[in-house]
Parts: sequence; structure tokens; C-alpha cells
Amino acid sequence: MKPFIDMNLFQRCFTLVLCLIPLSTSFVIAQDVSYLEGTIIDFATNQSIPGANVYWKHSPTEGVTTSQEGIFKLPTTKLPAVLIVSFIGYEQVEREVTSKDLARGLKIYLREDEMDLQEVTVSSTRPDQNVKSLDMGKSVVPIETIKNIPALFGEVDILRSLQLLPGVQTAGEGTTGLFVRGGSADQNLLQIDGAPIYNPSHFFGFFSVFNPDAIHGVDFYKGNIPANYGGRISSLIDISLKEGNFDKIKGEGGIGTISSRLTVDGPLFSDKSSFVISARRTYADLFLRLSSDPNINNNDLYFYDLSGKTVFKLGEKDKLTVSSYYGSDFLGLSGQFGFGWSNWMGAATWNRNISDRLFFDLNAYSSRYNYKVSFDDADNGFEWGNALGETGFKATWNYHVSDQTKINWGSHLQFYHFASIDLEPAPGSAIQPITSNPFNGLQLNPFVSVNHEFSDKVGLEAGLRWSLYQQHGRGVAYTFEDNIPSPEAVITDSLTFNTFEKMRGYHGLEPRLALRYLLREDLSLKIAANRAFQYLQVASNSSAGLPLDRWILAGTYIPPIRGDQFSVGIFKNFKNDTWEVSLEGYYKDMKNLIDLRQGASVLFTDRVETEILVGDGYAYGAEFLLRKNVGKTTGWLSYAYSRTWRKIEGISFDRWYNPRFDRPHDLNLVLNHQFDKQWSANLTFVYTTGQAVTFPAGSYVVDSQRLPLYTGERNADRFPDYHRMDASVTWKNVDKGKKWRGSWNFSIYNLYGRKNPFSYQFTEIFNDEINFTPTSTEPITSRRPGTVMTYLFTFLPSLTYNFEF
Amino acid sequence: MKRVFIALFSILCYTSCQEEVILNLDTLEPTPVIEAVWTNVPNINQVMITTSREYYDNTPNEVIEDAQVSIRNLETGRIANFVYNNQLRKYLPTNNQIGQIGHEYELSVIIQDKAYISTGVLLAPPTLDSITYEFKDQRVFRDEGYYLTLYGDIPFEEDNYYRLRVVKNDTLLNRRSDYLLFDDTFGTQILNRGFELGGFTFEAGDRVRLELFRLNKGAYDYLSQLVGLLFNDGGLFSPPPQNPVSNIKPLEHDGSVLGYFMVSPYIGASVLIEEEE
Repeated sequence: MKPFIDMNLFQRCFTLVLCLIPLSTSFVIAQDVSYLEGTIIDFATNQSIPGANVYWKHSPTEGVTTSQEGIFKLPTTKLPAVLIVSFIGYEQVEREVTSKDLARGLKIYLREDEMDLQEVTVSSTRPDQNVKSLDMGKSVVPIETIKNIPALFGEVDILRSLQLLPGVQTAGEGTTGLFVRGGSADQNLLQIDGAPIYNPSHFFGFFSVFNPDAIHGVDFYKGNIPANYGGRISSLIDISLKEGNFDKIKGEGGIGTISSRLTVDGPLFSDKSSFVISARRTYADLFLRLSSDPNINNNDLYFYDLSGKTVFKLGEKDKLTVSSYYGSDFLGLSGQFGFGWSNWMGAATWNRNISDRLFFDLNAYSSRYNYKVSFDDADNGFEWGNALGETGFKATWNYHVSDQTKINWGSHLQFYHFASIDLEPAPGSAIQPITSNPFNGLQLNPFVSVNHEFSDKVGLEAGLRWSLYQQHGRGVAYTFEDNIPSPEAVITDSLTFNTFEKMRGYHGLEPRLALRYLLREDLSLKIAANRAFQYLQVASNSSAGLPLDRWILAGTYIPPIRGDQFSVGIFKNFKNDTWEVSLEGYYKDMKNLIDLRQGASVLFTDRVETEILVGDGYAYGAEFLLRKNVGKTTGWLSYAYSRTWRKIEGISFDRWYNPRFDRPHDLNLVLNHQFDKQWSANLTFVYTTGQAVTFPAGSYVVDSQRLPLYTGERNADRFPDYHRMDASVTWKNVDKGKKWRGSWNFSIYNLYGRKNPFSYQFTEIFNDEINFTPTSTEPITSRRPGTVMTYLFTFLPSLTYNFEF
Repeated sequence: MKRVFIALFSILCYTSCQEEVILNLDTLEPTPVIEAVWTNVPNINQVMITTSREYYDNTPNEVIEDAQVSIRNLETGRIANFVYNNQLRKYLPTNNQIGQIGHEYELSVIIQDKAYISTGVLLAPPTLDSITYEFKDQRVFRDEGYYLTLYGDIPFEEDNYYRLRVVKNDTLLNRRSDYLLFDDTFGTQILNRGFELGGFTFEAGDRVRLELFRLNKGAYDYLSQLVGLLFNDGGLFSPPPQNPVSNIKPLEHDGSVLGYFMVSPYIGASVLIEEEE
């Protein structure tokens, strides 16, 4: 990790990548082998099917799988011959192929298997992916699986579902923040169609921002992130929005306990383009209006999200998708206080099949997060807001050199703009305005990755990503006495930088390596090593993400985080890939993590570096997963033993300590059973070690206040173990003759009413009442130190009506 | 912001509950707690020394009665010795000595051969011009009653750390929500325009005394962290709890100490609320 010497290196790389784009799109690969080409398409939706198996009947071991666009290319043999196309969840197709088919390209339609009750197996992965791929620490979670999991308030939640995977921890009851393999929540890159989402939560983290009906799929990487992705050291949650069908207008939606949602999709103008639009809104505020209490009925509390995606087939070889998402929350109290925040992203992706072996993707996106707080008051009114955004371009080439070798390369350019924090007093307000300086950054990430099968047994994926980062103007850099920023430090100078003027640079090589050795056809051993740099962090000392969190970019006093992860795993499938089992171990090393000084105030300060402490961390763990994907009963059982530690000067006597989300034992059981075509039931069970927290070891009195006494060691105590069982039953109207098909879902969160603590507050209890507040009319008659436990969501039933048309 | 969370949780978490529990907590060895006040007026200068004890123990904290306590003027070298008063259970300066504006002072406390020291500057006070009051009807964010507005001037460019205490009918309001601490984050014009004490309602006939202290940053930070700790609910949205950082340090030993040393000018103003016609 070295700073830039000058701008030349950065500029040369950037220029090189820009030059490569037009060159490579016209790159033509010579062909001298005959192939049968075609596309596999879903009969019902007219959408292509990725991952389908295509092979000759007489040579079943030499087949291929279809690409993300549903395209396959199979070496020809003596024709005529019988071609077989299969994909789990669909009826197998056998078709005789003659030499005439070679010239025109095949379109083969698959029908959903009416006898197969398992919708959850529709995914873009091969059934033996678990064993034969080079993936480690990766989970592809089908959206249907997520929809089947019993949900809090009946709100199907993607992020909460991911918490049921081994190695993923939650900050606390009900919240959607993810802590992956010992990493913090800000170390997860959560992106929709390639665009990052900076605050992926509604309702202060109790719900994630995604409407499940709008989602096509979720690829979740908690280790061995491929070289074409980067920017966060812990995980990648790659969410793709659903594409509309090209056949006819369809819709789906639901009416739930706290929100309703509707998604409509269909062809747009012609059969060459389609659209999908999706919306969801809560109606808690409508219930508030029913209250006779003016303290409640004057309030607003809602969130909503909208998303849309259009797909244009620009010919046989080109496809353009344009998508957008907007989600917003608002909390208003009596028309006087307002607090709102929103995420917006727009993305466009151009996919081009340059040749049968070379594919090109160009993704352009922009993402923006902002919040606004307003207080309408004659004396102290104000409006306070902030916005942060990222705009990027990513070009990727995939070259299938042979069935054994695949190469992908490209570059990703990112521009960060974290706007100034502005507090504007209302006219006549006594408050003075506050404006901080903005933060800007530019990051270029060229990458290359090779995937090679040395033999049937040995496969290797070797990738390299080079992140080149620069903090640049417009901005202000402060210089402190002795070069140590602290709240007491004397500022010796402040330098103002113009737009795009370099302030500070870093760069780092990020190797990504994965090796698979197939011990048997259904058993493999995999190892992986992974380095990543992260050039932005959240400066916060609370464990849950908040809308007001301050994101900061790497700069003079705040270096980028470096994360190294090493993992090894053994993967086995049983009974024709019906069962998957895996055992993975990992060790993760983290450099330059930040935390806040005690009593730090980072909301408005322009010198945020004075409030920050920098240190290191490490994590290790073992994760076991047993999963059944096919059959009437599906689901998984996972167990993880994991630990994570931090060492930051100024915290916990400068010794190693556990962050709050260090929860060594983590057991999850997810079961789905399909009784018949109408009835299904789901059950989840979660058990984890309690959160690492700090309890007092005494009390004392200062300024007439009784205060808990802390030892100075952070998080040396534990909440009680957390466990919970949820269950749901779904009844589905399967009368396919009807245009409108409905289903009812009844779910219960926390079935046996476990009182899992959300918090323990150490406080004085007055008059033996835990919520007593002394007033002039109700004086204090007794006082004593006590502990008040708050727990949420015991036995919470909810009912949702879902429909399709 | 607290109000926001209360509203949010009352709406969202209608199934949530609270109950009192007893946890099995560790207990640290008793730690000395020093709370020293040094101002430019007599009668409020004092030093209290107690010790910490087991968390659930409800008996009064032990008072250390045999400490040696003094405050030295670092400009003149003059030392004010403090003597333990059995009735008040605190140390008071001999001859009711007071501090001088603009001088720096050093607190020295010796407990069983272990010394603790702290320093602070007695800064010049801002000015308080007047207190007005007005009856206001009940609104959503406001109870019905009389509200005070304080007028004055803060002419300082730096060291703007203030605490305002409210004494109602000779009783100091000391609930956790009664702390009024402010600095110059939002400017120094707050008193010139009139600073309404929005969180305090009074009735006709109440006699109210406002006491304004201009603190050193260490004492201000201590009190800010103390208030933060009083509101820390131990949940996800609160920072990890820590003892407020004391501005008192052990002298040449590694023992720990709690509490703080407040050096401040004192200005007060009173008003009797008479019923509006």
C-alpha cells in the first residue's frame, strides 16, 4: 500500500481501459469447429433459461450448460442424433437434430414440470454446482425460497433470509443489517443491477429496501469474491431485478399486515422488449389516523419503494436493459418535525455476444442516498440534509477460450461524491448555519480472471484486481500539529483543493485465487485466498446502521481497509445431487478498521478524522451446511462456529475485544414441506450465542445521578443465548383455468414466545415502576439501581394475501 | 432525536415489552469518586469524595472522610485547603475561599497516600440580562404552562461550553432530561435572541433561579458523556457504554478515579412567576 507518486499512473491506466473498449467489441474469434447453437426458453414466460443442461443422448457426459442468456453451443457429432435438454423444475425435452438445424440455430422451449412440486429449484445453477464449481462461500438463494421463509410481519425480506445462512450474523432482533464472517455491516457491497445501495433498510433497519416481487435473484458471496467485483472486504450481495416477460401482461402482488405491493410485467411495444414495474407501500400511517390521541394521529410514518426495468433485444447479439429503483422513508411528527431518507439508483446494461465465444457487458449506473431532517419552529427551526452518491461504469469481457478455459477481464470506474452536510436555519431562527466540506473520490479497478480446468479433477480460478483510488477536490484538508488528528490537536494549516485536484491517493493489488480438486464425482476439496481493499467506511459507534450514518472516504488520516481471507472447504452431494453438504473454514485478517472516540460527535464536524480511531481485526470460523433442494421437503440445516476480534488504540485498554456481533455458535434450520399442490408449510429455527455487550460492575453517584460503573473492557459480557422458531402455512389456489390465482399465507414469528432481549438498560428505578418519570405532581418516593430488559416481537402472527394474474 | 425513537418504537413495536431483571454482574474493587466544584462565589465551592459499590446495592455510597483536599491557584501559588464537614458529608474550603476570574487552579486530593490532581481555568462569565416568562397553551410538543426565556450575551470566540441549571422553588431539577448543556456548534447568538427553556414548564407562583456555568472543555465533555450514559439504553442504537472520561488524573500511580473537577464562574438570576391577566 503506497500513495501515488503522481497522477500519471492513474491517467495511463484509465486511458488504456478506455482505448480497450472499442477495440475489444470488434474483436472476432476465428472458428474452425462445427457447433450446434441454440437458445433454451421457458414456454410460459418466453424468457431464456440459464444453466440448463444440453447434451447428446449417446454422450451424456459431454454436455454443456446454457449461458446467462440461455444460449448453448454444443460440438456436433454425427447427425442425426438425439439432443436432450434438462433443467430441474422443467420437463425434459428430447429432440432429434438433423444437419439442417446446424445452419438456423435452435429454439427449444421447456415447460414447467407439473409433477414437480418444487418451485424453489428454479435457479441458474447446475445441480452439481456445489461440488464442481470453483465457488466458495457463495450462496445463490432463489427468490422463491426466500418467499417461502416465514417473515416478520409477513414482510418477505431478502436480507433477513440471508441471515439464515452460516457465517452471517445479525445486529439484533428484527434488524436486517448483515455481519458476514466477522465483518461490519459497512463492509458488504449490496448492489442492484450493478449499482450500490448505501442504506439498504427501511424503518431504521427493521425492513430491507427490496420488494421481493421485483427481484429476479440474489447471488451472495461471503468469501472468494470474483475479481470483477470489489470495493468491500466482507461480502457481495448481488441482486438482479426481474425482467418482464415478452409474451403478455402479467401481474403479482400481495396485501399484507403492514404493506401492500404490486408488480406488473409484460411486452413493451413489441416482442423484442419488455417491462416490469413494481411498487410497495406501508400503511402504518393510515392506522395512526384512527387514533383519537393527537400525539399519535398527527404523525406520519411510512416507507415505499418503486422499481422498474425494461429490456430491449437489439438483435440476435445485443440486449439492453435499463432499470431503476427508488425507496423512501418518512417519519413526521405533528407536521412540525420531519425526517426522511431515500435511495435512488439507475442502471443501464448492454450485453453483446461479440461472437460465440466472446461476450461483452457494459454497465453504467448512478446511485444516490440522501436524508433530510426538518424542524418547523419559529425560534429554532432548521433544515438539515446530506446526500452521497456513486456513479460508475464497468466494462467486462468474457472469453470462452475452450470448454476448459474461460477468461474475463475489464475495468470498473467509480466516482464518489459525498456532499457537504448542510444545516440551514429557518428564517428568524436563532441557529447559525452549518456547512461542511464535501468528500470526493475516483477509483479505477482494472481486473482480469482466468478459470481453467486442468483436468476433470483440478480446476483453478486466478484473478487479479487493481484498485487505484484517489481522494480529490473540491474539498479541504487539514494539517494537525505533530500530524496527529485529535479533538485537542491544533490545526496548523488547511488546504483548499479545486475540483478533481488530487488530495491523496492509494492503490492496491487484490489477488483472488480458488482451487478445486475433485476427489470423487460427488466430492470436492476447495481452497481460496482473497484480498480486497475498501476505500470508504461508516463512522459510527452504534451496532445498527442508521439513516444519519456518516460515510467517509479514505484520505490523509484514514487509510483504506485491507481484508485478506483464506478459506478451505469440502463439498459433497448425495443421492443424485438431491442433498448438498459442505464444510468450510476461513480466516480473515482486517487492517485499518475505524471506530469512534468516546463521546465523538461526527454528524456535523468538518474534521471527522479527529473523532476516529484506527485499528485492526481478525476473524475465523467453520461453517457447516446441509441442504436439500429437490423433493417435497426442502431446506437446510446450518451451523457455524465463528469468532471475530478488534484491536483499536484507545478502546478496551488497547487490547483485543469482540464487536457486538461476535456470536460464536450459530445454528439455523429452514424447512419447507409441500403437502400437495395447494398446501405447504415452512418452519425456521434460529439459535445463536447472545450478543457481546458491556455490563456494569458497580455503580457510583456524580452530580446526584447514580451511574453504572464500567470496567473499561468492551463487550466482555453476553446477552443470553438467542433462539426463536417461526412457522408459516400457505394455501395456494392452483386452478390454472382462472386468470386470477390467489394464495394465503399465515405466519407466526417467534412461535413459542421466547423473550430474547433487545437491550438491557441499567438505570435507576423510581417508585418501583420501571417506566416512572418523576414530575412535580408525582414525586419520587423510592429509588434504586435496576436493570430493565426490552424484548421485541413475541408471538407475532401475520396474514398475507398474495395474488397473480 | 429521542422523541423520534420513542414515537417509532411505540408504533412499530406494539408487541414489545419491558420487564425488570436481575443479572449476575461482576463487582469492581471500590473506586474513589471525586466531585469538585470551584467557582468565584462562596457557598457552592465543595468537594465530595465517595466510593463505588456493587451495582444492585441500594445503601448510600461510602463517603471518604479522611482525604487531604486542596485547591491551588497556579497564578499566585495560594492554596485553599478543604476540611471535611460531618454534617454535610463533604469537604468545604476553609474561610469560605473563592476563585478569581482568569486564574488557573489545580485540585489535589490525597486518599490513603494516593494523590489525584486536576486543573482548570476560571473563565470570564457571559452576561445575563433578563428573564421573561409567557403562558403558552398546550400543543402537541408542548405542555400548558409558563415558559421562561433567558436574555444575555456570549461575547467569547472560544471556550464556549455552558451548563444551565434550573432551580424551581429551591429544588434543583436534576432528572436526566433536565440537563441543559450547550456549546457554540450552533453559534453564540443564542442568548441575544432569547433562549427559551422549552423543556421546562412552570406555574404561577413558582420562584425560579437559573444558574449559568461556563465550563472548561474537560468538565463539559464529562457532563455530556454523563448525560449520554444516562440515556444509553444498551441497545443497538446506543454506543457501547463507557464511564465518562474524568478530567481528574492519578498522580504517579496507576489507580483509577471517577468524577470530575468543575472550575467555572457562577452567574444566577431569579424570577417569580406571577399569574398573567
